[in-house]
Amino acid sequence: MRSRSRFLIPVLAAGLLSVACSGGGGSSTPTGPAAGAAGGGAAAPANAGGGAFPRDETLYTSGTQWGPPANWNPLREWDYATGTKGLVYETLFMYDPNTDKFSPWLAESGEWTGDLEYTLKLRKDVTWSDGKPFTADDVIFTFELGKMETVPYHPLWDWLKSAEKADDHTITFTFTTANYQEWANHLYSRAIVPKHLWEGRSEDEVMNGTNEKPVGTGPYAYQSHDQDRMVWVKRDGWWATKALGKEVKPKYIVDIVNSSNEVAMGLLLQKGLDLSNNFLPGIANLVKGSFGIKTFYDQPPYMLSANTTWMWFNTAKKPMDDKQFRKAVAYSIDTKKIVEGVYGNLVKASDPTGLLPQWDKYIDKNVTSTLGFSYNPDKARQLLADAGYKDRDGDGLVESPSGAKISLKLIVPAGWTDWMEAARVISSSAKAAGIDIEADFPDYNALVDVRNQGKFDLVLNNDKQLSNTPWSYYDYLFRLPVQKLQSTTNYGRYENKRAWELTQQLDRVKPEDVEGMKKITSELQKIQLEDMPVVPLWYNGLWSQTTDSTWKNWPTSAANTPKYPPTVWRNWLEMGGTLMLTELQPASGG
Amino acid sequence: MRRYLGRKLLIYGLTFFVAVTVNWMIPRFMPGDPVSSMLSRANVAQPAAVEAMRAHYTAMFGFDLPLWRQYLNFWGALLQGDLGISIWLFPTPVSDVIVRAVPYTLGLLIPSILLSWFAGNRFGAFAARRKWLDNTVLPFGYVLTATPYMWLAILLAWALGIVAGVFPVAGAYGFDLRPSWSWTFIGSLAQHWFLPFASLFLVAFGGWAIGMRNMIIYELEADYVNYLRALGAPARLVRRYAFRNAILPQVTGLALQLGVLVAGALVTEIVFSYPGLGHLILQAIQNQDFFLLQGTFLFIVIGVLIANFVIDVAYVLVDPRTRTGMGGAA
Amino acid sequence: MRNEALHFALRNRKLVVGTVVILVFLVAGLVGPLMFDYGPNEYVGPPMAPPSGEFWLGTTTFGQDVFAQFLYGLRATFLVGALGGVLAAAVGMVVGFVAGYRGGWIDELLNMLTNIVLVLPALVVLLIVNAYLGVRSIGVQALFIGLTSWPWAARAIRAQTFSLRSREFVDLARLSGVRTPKIILREIAPNMSSYLFLTFILLFGSAILIAASLDFIGLGPTDSVSLGLMLNNAARWSALQLGLWWWFIPPGAGITAIVGALYVMNVGLDEVFNPKLREM
Repeated sequence: MRSRSRFLIPVLAAGLLSVACSGGGGSSTPTGPAAGAAGGGAAAPANAGGGAFPRDETLYTSGTQWGPPANWNPLREWDYATGTKGLVYETLFMYDPNTDKFSPWLAESGEWTGDLEYTLKLRKDVTWSDGKPFTADDVIFTFELGKMETVPYHPLWDWLKSAEKADDHTITFTFTTANYQEWANHLYSRAIVPKHLWEGRSEDEVMNGTNEKPVGTGPYAYQSHDQDRMVWVKRDGWWATKALGKEVKPKYIVDIVNSSNEVAMGLLLQKGLDLSNNFLPGIANLVKGSFGIKTFYDQPPYMLSANTTWMWFNTAKKPMDDKQFRKAVAYSIDTKKIVEGVYGNLVKASDPTGLLPQWDKYIDKNVTSTLGFSYNPDKARQLLADAGYKDRDGDGLVESPSGAKISLKLIVPAGWTDWMEAARVISSSAKAAGIDIEADFPDYNALVDVRNQGKFDLVLNNDKQLSNTPWSYYDYLFRLPVQKLQSTTNYGRYENKRAWELTQQLDRVKPEDVEGMKKITSELQKIQLEDMPVVPLWYNGLWSQTTDSTWKNWPTSAANTPKYPPTVWRNWLEMGGTLMLTELQPASGG
Repeated sequence: MRRYLGRKLLIYGLTFFVAVTVNWMIPRFMPGDPVSSMLSRANVAQPAAVEAMRAHYTAMFGFDLPLWRQYLNFWGALLQGDLGISIWLFPTPVSDVIVRAVPYTLGLLIPSILLSWFAGNRFGAFAARRKWLDNTVLPFGYVLTATPYMWLAILLAWALGIVAGVFPVAGAYGFDLRPSWSWTFIGSLAQHWFLPFASLFLVAFGGWAIGMRNMIIYELEADYVNYLRALGAPARLVRRYAFRNAILPQVTGLALQLGVLVAGALVTEIVFSYPGLGHLILQAIQNQDFFLLQGTFLFIVIGVLIANFVIDVAYVLVDPRTRTGMGGAA
Repeated sequence: MRNEALHFALRNRKLVVGTVVILVFLVAGLVGPLMFDYGPNEYVGPPMAPPSGEFWLGTTTFGQDVFAQFLYGLRATFLVGALGGVLAAAVGMVVGFVAGYRGGWIDELLNMLTNIVLVLPALVVLLIVNAYLGVRSIGVQALFIGLTSWPWAARAIRAQTFSLRSREFVDLARLSGVRTPKIILREIAPNMSSYLFLTFILLFGSAILIAASLDFIGLGPTDSVSLGLMLNNAARWSALQLGLWWWFIPPGAGITAIVGALYVMNVGLDEVFNPKLREM
């Protein structure tokens, strides 16, 4: 026995090492470094033998990728490897939400040349990373991919008639309906893919293909990936260096796959991360302390706002079909307790309209000052009493005017701990005002099911993100017709034809016409606050924590720093994330 | 002996059949529809597009076939090593995802199980009937074996990782490295491996030590020991006989404990975000990826069955009595 | 005979220490929560406060009282242990007695069943079941734990029954026409009652550990507080990184103390029932 155990130990130790090496190496080989394919002068993967990335040339990020990088397909806008769109594939325009400005990117310019005609001019000196020139054909090809039914932007073709090439760098788009707001959104959201490589791919390949060797126009190329990271390497010959004098600073970007937020916090504290886009509860304490961790603001709410958390009423059910009742619920919620207690001031209480701070100009203050609501349990009780909701059985909770018991469930996915806490707060403050709302935590799947089928009472949701237009929020709130399954918008099945008409009108106002937009949004806000189909609760942050140990000049609210959104989240690089990379400076020397 | 092992194999075969059936059945009874949850995560703006995608995925995953057909297809695919496609890591095959994670889990499990078994048994045998050790160190063994794996892991991660900063607390190797045969990489690998290994080892060690100590005490009271003593055999010889007899139940114990040890490894990996199967299970649960969860489950069951069989063979080799063909309650 | 056992029981340090620890925690869990006029999940204090005179074990990141959570959590922990343990022992006893006493093809069948459940890794099965069926209450959690952790008990009881069934008093009962369930209840079970009690204690402890693991992974009940859920919350809300040691040390220490005390009690009882093992 003794001799056997002594023999086993070294064998095991060796076995473990070989197993780990082949495991790690094996997973990155099959995909192969696509950088090698980039004939246009991509930097060769450095020190492939030594294996280490020089710390002072590498940017470590996290908070986007919640699973191993599985595809580099820019059409899969919800799960492509971090940076696929933005670092490799680029968009025609960039949109800066803080200033509400579009800036031409792959496009040189674009304008409406007729009521139903948009003319786009492209830059001439752009090349794909394999050396081929970027032309109008690529753009037309990309938009025409949308003719495939499973491509997410397929509905564009309901109102886009054609995309025609005028010359190699000019395209004329003709529309059947000019949805200006939506079109502006497409202009900075669609990643342009190379026709010469994507042509001939089947619909299945286009949507479900992993696109292992991404060839784009952007500043980075694929270097390697593993279960727990995605590595991009800077490539030479990025068009913007010559055309705009811009240059991305980090040579390598290593995006670390999140296993959990607390792990990200640990790495950040050890300076193993430069930019964490994770939700890190308690980070306020670290920002105030001397840990070298910074956020966009150095005081509450610390973060820029990224989306609104809404509480939907199922307006097809009693008593949520009664707007007086809905209003009473809105007045009963102690949002401050959620903001301070649950989030430690990392989020901001929402405006009564729910529009993000970036959209402040579209909020009609006259409407909100008369119709807006805030936490006020007395007012909630008053509203209930006025509408005939009374506590008849003396349990402290009201019954409906007909005498039926009211017992509602607010559903939140199990495991979403911050929302679960928030739901508990909502439940207790509603009960204090006499409304029986119970927090309930079904599994995510089950929640999605009842939400889509309209079988819930109350549900929290924050699906809609910041964009170029408040139209996207109103589309989310008011979209008609209500279908059997409401899977992305209007979960409350709230039917208001006037509101939907106004929303469609808003879509057809040109983005430059702020006054015209305001006229419509003001009316929408009046309807929203009078009917209260949904209660906006708080703005979730654009979670972003940075350290200055390797890279400095991060975007902050302080003077003389960039103001771009400090994030590498999906669909945010074209809202300024890429520009943030060009503004970074090495902490030492530079 | 052949009969004994054959019987065992039959049981393992049946177990596998039950596991596969349970595995197939449970998702069909769960509330909610995986396709719609995947689509809602996709966050596509237009209802029409969502419907088209739904039809596509439903056809692809085969939810529209009759149940018996789905069951047969499930077996058919399984026998070809096809565990389906992960929803979380779409479109990576589940088997690929698992194969990548397995080395890490085995790298933790095998050394910690074997080393804790050997060390625990030796230490337990040594401590038995040595009063001062029995009274000082063994209570500590009780504490260890009663410790939830994840709590010991949390304590180690906090004390040695975060406060002392000696060990990293996440991942399998440094994020600034790529796998290679360099000393830097191997060092980093070992450094990341140590804490999860240590917490698994310690808890299991406590259990084996106490088990062995109790066994030896039973044995030392047995008649044959009294007989040996009466014959004047040296104490060392007596203890060696006792040890040989006491080790047999410990071999069986190893088989019984496998499930617990595997479970321990899973939660330990979660604490250290060590990229093995435990980590995978957590992600599968959080992302409602039931193909991945099922695949991991089947994989673990197969692993445990194989390990059980290996232990059975070892038992036959160690214990002469089983060789003569008893099929009883081993 | 009874008196002799009691005599040794009171002198057995292991048994006394183990029992005292269990009783202290049990009383704390039963009476403790009455001390508070607020629930375990209410925000009652400043966030992230270290232990103080007001909050003995400090507060969580939301300002919940960790001590209150701990006391409430003890209840859940005992409950899941007791329910899960009783259920597993019950199933184990039924299977073990029937298989051991009846023998033949029933034994073969039950033995097969036992072996199948025995080989399946319980926690992993529970993971699948909990993840899909969404276990959201302590009762259901205990039910599933009980239904998966009985096999080794069944096996041990079967072996014991096997050796008892050919004893004279059992033969006598059988010859005088007593029916099988009665024989098992009247003749066999009492003769191995100490053994059954030991089995139950071990099942109790392992149910607590399994429940804690499930809670920690995030598959615990959502309608209550338990020690495992406290660990889960502490880890999820970065208590380690933020240095809130008072949040994650007490729940783990509580589980360890309870389960450890059960094990020690088990060994102590074993020594009481089995004179050969008593320390000289």
